[in-house]
Amino acid sequence: MMKKLARVISPLLIAFLVLGSLPAVASVPATQANGLVSTQDALSASQVASDRERINELLAREDVQQQLLLQGVQPAEVKARVAALSDEEVSQMANQLDEMPAGASVVGALFAVFVILLVTDILGLTNVYPFVR
Amino acid sequence: MTRLSIWHLPNARAAGVLLCVLSLLLLAGCASTPRISSPERLGIPQQTSIADVPFFGQRDYQCGPAALAMVLNDSGVEIGVDALIPQLFLPNRQGSVQPEMLATARRQGRVPFVLDNDIESLLETLAAGQPVVVMQNLSLPIAPLWHYAVAIGYDLDEETIRLHTGFKPGQDMALSTFDATWARSDRWAMVALPPGDIPRGISAEAALSAISDAERVQGAVELQPSWEALVERWPGLAMGWFGLGNARYASDDQAGAADAFRFATLHDPELAAAWLNLGLTLHSLGQQQEARTALEQASALPGKWQETAATKLASLFPKETP
Repeated sequence: MMKKLARVISPLLIAFLVLGSLPAVASVPATQANGLVSTQDALSASQVASDRERINELLAREDVQQQLLLQGVQPAEVKARVAALSDEEVSQMANQLDEMPAGASVVGALFAVFVILLVTDILGLTNVYPFVR
Repeated sequence: MTRLSIWHLPNARAAGVLLCVLSLLLLAGCASTPRISSPERLGIPQQTSIADVPFFGQRDYQCGPAALAMVLNDSGVEIGVDALIPQLFLPNRQGSVQPEMLATARRQGRVPFVLDNDIESLLETLAAGQPVVVMQNLSLPIAPLWHYAVAIGYDLDEETIRLHTGFKPGQDMALSTFDATWARSDRWAMVALPPGDIPRGISAEAALSAISDAERVQGAVELQPSWEALVERWPGLAMGWFGLGNARYASDDQAGAADAFRFATLHDPELAAAWLNLGLTLHSLGQQQEARTALEQASALPGKWQETAATKLASLFPKETP
């Protein structure tokens, strides 16, 4: 019974959270009120039409928000985290978050790997085990 | 199990380990101390150790938040590891990725810079008294053990680097081992500094985009000291003057903004956006003749801003009907 309920509710919940995050994405500043060209716009690839650029950027930001939700980040934090990324960082994360190294300092406990790393630690190529000087 | 295999098993294992070691040696080469051009040329001392960099021990997987907390507190932001975890940590990956290390520093009002990826930049920055977050792969690429540590000093006589790392403050590590583990992240290193400071080990272009990215989050008024510092260090950088112009304009210093935009056009006469902003600023200052000339320059340059410039020119200075 509870499982059935959860099965119905969770897709709805996901959809609402995603929709709720859209306005934050759309609030990326377009141009300054005074009509001056912003430094960020002037720096971004100057050849491409700026509208298309902006749409791609919005889509990428939305994509990263969803990826962060999937990574278990609290929905309340997701918007602010994506807003603090630069355009380049957003596109990096949109394209390759899964391959990106995540600093964590845990090692898999495979025995073969243990032996190899012990040897490389002694050679000074790695620094996995604190007991090797 | 037959007698034969019992006899052969230990030999096979020993041979296997030996083979592994040999092939690893062939693949990786021996760890060697990185080449450092003479400290005299770089203008850095033989050894340095930054005093009083606060140490935060990491919890389970949270070397990212811990490392960031150390550099943030050193730069004057009082924040603990617990407050940084929700801004930085990816629960399902049990780790933190590099772009979010930078983004989190921006949210704390600091300007993050990724240093040029070589050992000299790292040492220069340490010699200037700025602790550096480094990313290492403590293990091998086949079983990566990604780790953030904070470099706080070095000793070129002993060939060591001093790190706040994991659970231990002020650990000295052989430079050769450090460089082997650091090279696996392409020698990624970052600092988080208050607006107005720029690290020594960085190129003009990298500093420019770092300041622009921080400005996007914190606003132009906050970042004005950084733009001032950028053009002081690289006076020939046209985009630096351009950014300074926008920051001064945002702080209601229109005359200063016009000066900065003018410098931008002097250093790069092809920079249409600078001519455009110069024209608009001069127009609001009431200097119509000069404003018109600048807008004409902007609309004569092909590219992204040509259309905008032509429109502005037509609307601000409509052609007189004969």
